[in-house]
Amino acid sequence: MTATVLMIAHGLVAVALLGAITHQALATWTPARSPPGSFFGRFRAVPSASFANAIVVLYLVAVALGAIVYLYFIVDVRPQLERDAHFSALGLFDLKEHFVAIGLGLLPAYWVCWRRPLAEDLSASRAALTAIFAFIVWWSYLVGHVLNNILGFSS
Amino acid sequence: MTSLEAPRRFAFAFGTAFAVCYAFAVGRQLALFTVFPSLGVVLLGTVQSRDFGDPALGFLTPAMYWYGWTATASLGALVAGSIAALVPEAWTKRVWRGWLWVVPVTAMSACVYFTLPWFRL
Repeated sequence: MTATVLMIAHGLVAVALLGAITHQALATWTPARSPPGSFFGRFRAVPSASFANAIVVLYLVAVALGAIVYLYFIVDVRPQLERDAHFSALGLFDLKEHFVAIGLGLLPAYWVCWRRPLAEDLSASRAALTAIFAFIVWWSYLVGHVLNNILGFSS
Repeated sequence: MTSLEAPRRFAFAFGTAFAVCYAFAVGRQLALFTVFPSLGVVLLGTVQSRDFGDPALGFLTPAMYWYGWTATASLGALVAGSIAALVPEAWTKRVWRGWLWVVPVTAMSACVYFTLPWFRL
């Protein structure tokens, strides 16, 4: 029961993080130059710097919850996945844990890059780190979702 | 402005060094500690289940290295970050800032390489 509650909380935090990093990445890489008219235009017309603190906090909370849920995963879920020969899924999950850890190490640099007033000389680093974080968050979300669904909810 | 430079140097060196140390820790199996969740035991260093139990029962005591690898990388990154923050600014001024993203992307690629065996099973 505890694991299920933590897993749902982990998923909800991940959804919020996914939304924030996607907004920021699109606003950074394809900023809107004219008043947005379309949904996509409005999506990328957000003030990207205002997302940075929320992304740092959400990333830390998501990692903390994931690190706790991981204990249940290793004991209860992973043996079943190995027994059922879901080796590719386990490989994808290993990549998720590696990418998330590397993202954890990059978090202070990401925060420094987005600290206001935005430093002009850091614009390239800012864009690159945001893209890396967007990739890590999307990868983690999709792989976590796939793994959660392999055995079915609460199985 | 100078007072802001030290935290910036620390953060950039920390992120870069963390990525290197993490990939190295995974590749060389250098976990600072190993967690055995089913036993509620944490042991220093990289410990295999078979090292302290019957190899045939290894599946009952799965070992977790991720926390240990992260701790190893944090330790290495902390040292690198502290050095970068303490050295004179002129020493770090000529370091290409692109390393900040090139190194983590390379480390992530290395992790993909380490994970390939899963996809050959």
